[in-house]
Amino acid sequence: MMLRRALLPLAVTALATLWTTPAAAQPKTEITFARFFGACESDYGSSQDLAHARGECGVMTTLVNLFNATNTDNIVVKPQIIEWGPYYQQLNARIAAHDIPTIAVMHTAQLGDYTRYVEELEPVFKEAGIDPADFTPNARAGVTVGGKIYAMPWDTHSWLWHFNVGLFKKAGLLDATGQPLVPKTVDEMLAQAKQMKEKTGKPYIIIATSGPGDFANSARGYYSWLYDQGGSIFPNGFEKADFKTPESLNSFRVFEALAKNDYITKGLDGSGGLGGFLNGVGAIYMTGTWRIDDFLAASAKPDSPLAEGYTTRVFPNLFKSQAVWTDNHSWVLPKGGTTPANRKAALIFLKFMWDHNFDWARGGGHLPARQSLMTEYAKLPLRQYVVDIPTFGRALPHDVRRQFGFQNMIGEEIANIINSGKTADQAADAAQERSVALLRGR
Amino acid sequence: MAPTRICLVRTGGQSVAEATQSAAAGIGIPRLANALFVLPYMLILLVMLIIPLGLGIWLAFQDYDMLGGWNGSVGLENFQNLLDDRIFRGTVRNTMLFVLMTTPAFVILGLALALALNDRLRRSAMLRAIFFGSSVLSVTIVTLVWRLVYLPDRGMLANILGTVGLHSIDPVTSETWALPAIAVVTVWWIIGLPMTLFLAALQQIPADLYEAAALDHASRWRTLMSITLPSIRRTIVVVAVVEVILQFQLFGQALLITGGGPNNTSRPMVQFIYEAGFRDLQLGFAAAASQVLFALMLIAALAQAWVGRKREG
Repeated sequence: MMLRRALLPLAVTALATLWTTPAAAQPKTEITFARFFGACESDYGSSQDLAHARGECGVMTTLVNLFNATNTDNIVVKPQIIEWGPYYQQLNARIAAHDIPTIAVMHTAQLGDYTRYVEELEPVFKEAGIDPADFTPNARAGVTVGGKIYAMPWDTHSWLWHFNVGLFKKAGLLDATGQPLVPKTVDEMLAQAKQMKEKTGKPYIIIATSGPGDFANSARGYYSWLYDQGGSIFPNGFEKADFKTPESLNSFRVFEALAKNDYITKGLDGSGGLGGFLNGVGAIYMTGTWRIDDFLAASAKPDSPLAEGYTTRVFPNLFKSQAVWTDNHSWVLPKGGTTPANRKAALIFLKFMWDHNFDWARGGGHLPARQSLMTEYAKLPLRQYVVDIPTFGRALPHDVRRQFGFQNMIGEEIANIINSGKTADQAADAAQERSVALLRGR
Repeated sequence: MAPTRICLVRTGGQSVAEATQSAAAGIGIPRLANALFVLPYMLILLVMLIIPLGLGIWLAFQDYDMLGGWNGSVGLENFQNLLDDRIFRGTVRNTMLFVLMTTPAFVILGLALALALNDRLRRSAMLRAIFFGSSVLSVTIVTLVWRLVYLPDRGMLANILGTVGLHSIDPVTSETWALPAIAVVTVWWIIGLPMTLFLAALQQIPADLYEAAALDHASRWRTLMSITLPSIRRTIVVVAVVEVILQFQLFGQALLITGGGPNNTSRPMVQFIYEAGFRDLQLGFAAAASQVLFALMLIAALAQAWVGRKREG
């Protein structure tokens, strides 16, 4: 009796505590979030201020911080950040080892290889509150394989020329409005490059060609010039590639002409290329949409070599009609990565991301995946020059497997042209031979 | 209460009394229960090494796509494809060249450093720590540092050569210099291990041998050739075998400094295996390349050990 009397208040207190425990103290639903885009905790460790987030890494880190701090469903997103170069190699190893993330970023160029391993998402979009009708046509094509949607599109990204306007001015290559003259033919481009070298002593183009992941840079340029001519590396079906078509050879030869005359940088890795452009080492930096905001920020500093001006244009059409390489980042739910408990949480997070698609486009430079955001996007600095990319951007069809294998192989052969004097024909021959191994057992 | 048994083991044999005591204690008598002592190691060996090795050998004869799954056995086709693959043949050549460049450097430089620093001076202790220090760095740090050294036009090497009026060789873009440049990085990075092994061996040589040589007015060269080197012959073989095995596995430095280029002149076999398996998803093909690498390493290490033993004999 004495014992019961003593325990009763304790039990009441315990019940009352449980009843009044705030949601924050209850067990949280954790979802893992595998991504690249870099790690920048030192700058954005706890920031939730999207207005001041810059660059892919800054926006992505801030978005996750904001979600973790503000969601009312007790969800915690745990980012698993991997360098983009070996990202897919690691994802493959994780799938093989059944260590599967809840949500993973994926280039849509890769999606064709992964349809067996990721969930079809169209059936869950309604449940999540995501409207597929708002996908841009480019984004829709990217996430659709065999008529089914396997990912939530996040952006369209593409290949640009980023200009150091100060160097163009010094070389006398600005038009009457103070904008860089963009070449329309290969000869025009080579003439500009010659003029740039003579007037400034600097290379016309900066490109990174030697570090891990850098081979993609030259491959994207190759694809863009190939598409400008209406060419394809699979003119006769996806069983056999052809790198010796006139269009393909032309594309290789542009790089050969640039390299032969030292109009393009040699042997730089990604950081060397980026640092080179920021330090005024060359006039044009060949890289993607994701750098627009970084370069705008750099050009705003008075002591920057870009202070005289920075601008960007779509990778120029030197042949027939404007086309350019494009890809999309997207979010997938790998099979086996969700449990009944965290599946709803994953959809809530996807919806949050969908609602913040514009922040990604603003901070990172990519084009939004939502058609409804395009008008607003075009009003952002310099975005008027890139906003039309989804209408003429091109990508390899999903029927082509091992697309990153092709990208690396083509990029490596162009790096050989740039860095070690291989001819365009030798590079095309080598690419032809290597494509056989890549397509084997597809 | 059972009496506590204490067994004293002495090197060089047992007395009759000890043998009797051992027999009474059951020592030396085979018992199944004794296997329990080695069981944990055997289990780890089986699970972590023997089974994966067997699976790897099986995989080498299959068409296995990492994401597409198993598509049946292909016999020797993967090996035939390797033979026909110009890139793979290049990686075999590169890997062999790299082993030939680095292994003698590790033996000669490691020994030279050990000989120079084999004393009790504080300065030598400090230098030993410095030379070993780089070995604790990760490959990422090492390659980041050396990329700055090798950076075309603006790197440390280019600046030094420019200062003395020489044209920069740009190792990252040179087909001739890419592999030697990676060899230099590797030797700089892990010279500490062979140096330490040689130091340990040098310190085992009895001092009276050197005293006798001094009394006979033997020159330093004669002392080195007749006392030091014969005394540490086994260590030389060990260092050579260990380095051959390690350097056949070149990967991180090449991937991060040159990416295998230019023109495939610095791509090692392990990078080929990594790319074939994890990037191009061709697991069977990659496993076949792994078996070729395994065979080459085994042959090289056995040959070296055999040569070492023959000389010793």
